[in-house]
Amino acid sequence: MNAIATPLLSVTPASIDQVDWADKHYLVVDDFVGVRQLLRESLRSLGAKNIDQASSGGEAMGLLARVRYDVVLCDYNLGDGKNGQQVLEEARVRNLVNPSTVWLMVSAEKSVESVMGAAEHQPDAYLIKPITEGVLLSRLNRVWHRKQVFRLIDQACAEKDYLRAARLCDDQIAVDKVHELDLLRMKARLMERSGQPTRAREVYERVLAQREYQWARAGLAKIRLANGEFEQARQAFQGVIAENRYYIDAYDQLALSYQNMGKLEEACAILERAAKLSPNSVTRQRNLGHLALRLGNMQMAEKAFRKCIAIGEYSIMKTPDAYLGLARVCGQKNDPKEALQLLLLAQREFVHEHADIQLRAKITEGLVYHESGDYRRARKAGDDLDAMLKASAARPDIPTCLELATLLFAVGVKEAPVELLRYVIRNNHDNPLLLDEVQKIFDKARMGEEGLAMIRASKKEAADLMNQGVLLWKTGKLGEAVAWMRDARKAVPNNQRILFNAAQVMVSCLQQQGYDAALSAEAYEILHHVDHLLPGQQRFAQLMEQLAQLQPALEKGGVAAVA
Amino acid sequence: MDETPNAHELFLFLASTAHDMKNSISVLSGTLERLLVDASPRTESAYPQMAHMLYQTKRLNDNLMQLLALYKQVGTPAYPFDVQPLALGHLVDQVVSIERVLLQSRGIQLELDCDPQLIWHLDEDLVVGVLSHAVNNAVHYTCDRVRLAICEQDGWLELRVEDNGPGYPPALLRAGAIATRETAGGVNFLTNSTGLGLYFSSEVAKMHRHRGRHGTLRLENGGRYGGGCFILRLP
Repeated sequence: MNAIATPLLSVTPASIDQVDWADKHYLVVDDFVGVRQLLRESLRSLGAKNIDQASSGGEAMGLLARVRYDVVLCDYNLGDGKNGQQVLEEARVRNLVNPSTVWLMVSAEKSVESVMGAAEHQPDAYLIKPITEGVLLSRLNRVWHRKQVFRLIDQACAEKDYLRAARLCDDQIAVDKVHELDLLRMKARLMERSGQPTRAREVYERVLAQREYQWARAGLAKIRLANGEFEQARQAFQGVIAENRYYIDAYDQLALSYQNMGKLEEACAILERAAKLSPNSVTRQRNLGHLALRLGNMQMAEKAFRKCIAIGEYSIMKTPDAYLGLARVCGQKNDPKEALQLLLLAQREFVHEHADIQLRAKITEGLVYHESGDYRRARKAGDDLDAMLKASAARPDIPTCLELATLLFAVGVKEAPVELLRYVIRNNHDNPLLLDEVQKIFDKARMGEEGLAMIRASKKEAADLMNQGVLLWKTGKLGEAVAWMRDARKAVPNNQRILFNAAQVMVSCLQQQGYDAALSAEAYEILHHVDHLLPGQQRFAQLMEQLAQLQPALEKGGVAAVA
Repeated sequence: MDETPNAHELFLFLASTAHDMKNSISVLSGTLERLLVDASPRTESAYPQMAHMLYQTKRLNDNLMQLLALYKQVGTPAYPFDVQPLALGHLVDQVVSIERVLLQSRGIQLELDCDPQLIWHLDEDLVVGVLSHAVNNAVHYTCDRVRLAICEQDGWLELRVEDNGPGYPPALLRAGAIATRETAGGVNFLTNSTGLGLYFSSEVAKMHRHRGRHGTLRLENGGRYGGGCFILRLP
């Protein structure tokens, strides 16, 4: 191209099919009325007619809950209340926006959060003020084009068919130079989520052969971390930070590496630095609080938990952990009264979203009393917990179970913790690290031998349950195998090996005896449950792909549209 | 960054003030652009003055953006630098979108010369900022034409902003040589804000590194039209 353009020139980049922006529904969010008016004028000159406006995050949420927008222009800095990122997160988590919705985040200057890899929920683009009409149009077109490229991949991801999504990435990489690196990054993540770190590593190395991208370096380091190569991971994450001190995700991972090496002081110091650079992350403040609490640095723990609660006030990402953690801090500072108030508050706040909040609050109450030396009240909390366990068959997650068993032994309750640990083993019979941990809890309670015997018996019980099902399957008795695994699942509802084998048997049954909607749905339900227990497993990805391929043609969402 | 609580509060204060000023400038330049688009030199007697206001508003915005980036940068490389692959068509598109109304209102033609499909790895916000700043400057020096030419040369991306004016005055060429030389600390901020713009642009050039090489900036007279040339080279 070598043309003298007239003043009214236009560059046609990379042959984009132009979009009709006039018919779209827009939401403009900014606390400054002048900017809202300006953006509205710009949109009007693109032909837009439907433009809503909000001056705060709260107002924006109200509109998002009622209207499905095609385009959201949201300022990051919205004064008091929710910021732009929190509006985005809540809209995505509550499914108030479509996957096709274009979300542009606007800010006065480049923010730390905009550096790739910082936040879990990313907008489609970050725009820096001032935004002229021309800039707006060209960015809208670019984002729209990118969304077209990723549409089917995102859909496969939403269906958790990661292997299909990865194949779609490969197809696009072959023909799309502009999005090549984006697609490679996506593919690497898909390989990680499918439990195939070796293939993820190949993708990162391919990127690095082109250019020194810190996200690819961080990706390699994460694989080392997952592999247990903590020292190498530490060095690699430190290298990433040395190259770009605003790559916040590397700090969180570096802290994790240190934690795995048992170096809690170092982990804590790194998280503290990260929290200074990017203070508005609920997760980071929570992790910092927990680390500081374990280290006995009550001042830092208190500061982090309080900050976590303050940010959480406007965030969909908030959890009860900061309240429970802060209650522990109050206990250690000999203020059980404030601790109890916090526990009440947590139960009120989270009664709907967290079914186990009462149990967890009671555990914390017991810990607070135990740690402050009030053994009478600690025992009372233990008895209450005993009664709660008897009243319901539901059990909290594994770390909470271990914490609870430890506390119950410590306050002198004997039977309930043994039962609880039996549940833990039966559902994790093939996890040697966890079995060691359980043994240690028994040792500490001076019940080492009973513990050993119980672990052996429970382990065998779960193994027998599984082996019988596998035997039926291997000898071709598919119907009986399905029935057996169904019962096994009832006996041990959270055993990943058994759950995977149950799904496997059902997939075989579907393959050999033909498609059956109810059985397919049952297999999906089981797989989603395992994925919830521990995401990123290879068997999950493989079975999800096999199941998707078994669906009758009409239900194969999107596949027909590829051609 | 200074760790005292006082410095942190000052930083927050400056950041929120800057946020506010940015909003004002956004509205100012947006309104002026709108007025200029709707008007023509024949119907509007104040058209040249409005065009000049837009030029000055853009200078104000450039200076503010550069000051902010540099203020954060004192002592440490603290700007959230973010390299991404970008098609040159998209890069040029951004610069054109920002400069279109100003160029039109001053009757200046912008000539483009680049392969829109070529992909390079750069911090888009910074490079767009540098190029549009260079075009703003060229608007001041040119007669009636500005050329933005980008091409790949031996593994470097060369981005040139040329004009058909009388060329940069010797003082500016000297300032350019000082602001862009390898060793830091040679900036003479006292001369005028041009020094700031050059210093900022050369810092942006240096931030771009690849396999042991880093970007450079230079000013010269010549190019296709014998006027001023602003040349940014990125590895």
